Amino acid sequence: MLEKTGVPTKEQIDSAFPSEERMKKGPFVVVECFQKIPCNPCFTACNRDGIKAFEDINDLPDVDHDNCNGCTLCVSKCPGLAIFVVDMTYSEDKALLKIPYEFLPLPQEGDRVMGLSHGGEEVEKVEVIKVQNPKGFDKTPVISLAVSKDKVKVIRSIKVPKERDRSEDEIVCRCSDVTLEEVRELIRTGHTTFDEIKKISRIGMGPCQGRTCSQLVIREIASITGQDPSSLLPGTYRQIVKSLEMGKVIEALEKEEQENK
Amino acid sequence: MKNVELLVIGGGPAGLCAAISAAEAGVDVLLAERDEWLGGQLVKQTHMFFGSEKQHASVRGVDIGKLLVKKVEEYKNVEVMKNATVLGLYEDRVVTIQQDGNYVKVNPKSVIITTGASEKTLVFPNNDLPGVYGAGAVQTLMNVYGVKPGNKVLMVGAGNIGLIVSYQLMQAGVDVEAIVDASPNIGGYLVHASKIRRMGVPILTRHTVKEAIGKEALEAAVIWELDDKWQPIPGSEQKLDVDVMCISVGLTPLSELLWQIGCKMEFVGELGGFVPTRSDKLQTSLDGIFVAGDVAGVEEASSAMVEGSLAGLSASSYLGYKIDVVKELERDYLNQLNDLRSGPVGEKIRQGLAKALISEQAANPGQGS
Repeated sequence: MLEKTGVPTKEQIDSAFPSEERMKKGPFVVVECFQKIPCNPCFTACNRDGIKAFEDINDLPDVDHDNCNGCTLCVSKCPGLAIFVVDMTYSEDKALLKIPYEFLPLPQEGDRVMGLSHGGEEVEKVEVIKVQNPKGFDKTPVISLAVSKDKVKVIRSIKVPKERDRSEDEIVCRCSDVTLEEVRELIRTGHTTFDEIKKISRIGMGPCQGRTCSQLVIREIASITGQDPSSLLPGTYRQIVKSLEMGKVIEALEKEEQENK
Repeated sequence: MKNVELLVIGGGPAGLCAAISAAEAGVDVLLAERDEWLGGQLVKQTHMFFGSEKQHASVRGVDIGKLLVKKVEEYKNVEVMKNATVLGLYEDRVVTIQQDGNYVKVNPKSVIITTGASEKTLVFPNNDLPGVYGAGAVQTLMNVYGVKPGNKVLMVGAGNIGLIVSYQLMQAGVDVEAIVDASPNIGGYLVHASKIRRMGVPILTRHTVKEAIGKEALEAAVIWELDDKWQPIPGSEQKLDVDVMCISVGLTPLSELLWQIGCKMEFVGELGGFVPTRSDKLQTSLDGIFVAGDVAGVEEASSAMVEGSLAGLSASSYLGYKIDVVKELERDYLNQLNDLRSGPVGEKIRQGLAKALISEQAANPGQGS
């Protein structure tokens, strides 16, 4: 089964869980590593002998659930992302499930997302309790989920809606193709005057000279910084751009010269 | 002509480690790399590596690459030539190199060949349509150049590369429609398979590509099931709307230079094709010519690194550099290799190596007694 589809059997999953008694005592690790491969970072990561030393690096991890306190150090260290943490004591009806999750966008704390099974099937909506992504986890964030207690052996991933970020499709400056998102990003990173945004993004420097965008930008600055739009300056105005044949300029100059004679 | 003590050909994991280990012993090393950068395939490996701490387990491949490159650059006795393709290596031991359009000749006393491997491919109707790629090419597009290869992918091959590239495609926001593999079982590490499967991507073993469909570029792919004699089952066809197909059906050693110089070569299917016979310390049938990494037999990068270190040591000894701890180091490297290969997933490698290994005496007749 596992070697044909990537989905472990119920027996394999059961074997990764401790006794009922241990489960009642608090968080514990679930190591779903069922193939002997040369790999031992789980042992190296553990500092309380929760995973026994490997005699042969190809051995399967030998978990001592009595020593493990579910600290989660090994979760982001497992190159196979095969380690999870379960806490059955989390609440009356929910268990806490911690999973490694390396996809963007990351869920936000408080989100309700779809929990997925080992086979990727939708199981139930679960609440995101915590998103841990410190430097030490080296880009393998750990997501804590509140799941129904009878689903701790079932849910192993989540489906985070790829929020369709509308602001990427919304153009503020049609001359230079500057999107609303880019403008917002600039304002968020401290560029709160029209001139600054113009100089970085070229907004307002195209043929229309800011007629389309300047008011939109001012409005965004006002709404993000909480200022009154009327207090914001529209930036420095430059010469109006208009195409003109060089000959016409010379003609005009010559005409002027003649008039001055 | 440039005279050097040791020329290392290829700046991937094996070549970098070979250069480091020889430089540490005091050898003057010239490292020639075809690409503009060192690191070889490590530069694209965004996943954490397996193995133990000694092979940087649980560090991402790309970061291991950076560590090794930094180390190489710290040695004053290592000269690095980038953009430098070794064109020929002949019996007189003169090596010709094309670098930035210039022609350079090098005369090394010893050579370590770490040229790696290239991707195998598959034959099926329309396999020349744009959109049909090698999986490694897609990984390069994505992870080196930041180019999204397409929107919907069929991955052909469920070995570690097929699984890892699928996972990375998904991370890049590309939909992987399915992973197919003609074998009855998944060839790559099952933990890789599981982390893809739980994101909802089907892995279909005993399936292969029937044909690619498209006019100007790939528009769809037809897959079908194989019976237990590896024959396609008519009527089992499924059409998948994909604009990218990645072929990941294994690697074969890039051994041209070894053939040129006349190393004894042996066909060893378990190691990916023709490989040089070699001693356990990685000397080929020719005095002073060493190999390491995938060119010596396709394996994981972890063992390529250890082999590189070992070959660097062997070349140093060959060049007459006496290191106090040479026996200790050798034993450590050989033990590491043994550990990495000793489990069930190393069985194929062990079988292959048994065919490619020759005793040191036979590998090096000039130096006996």
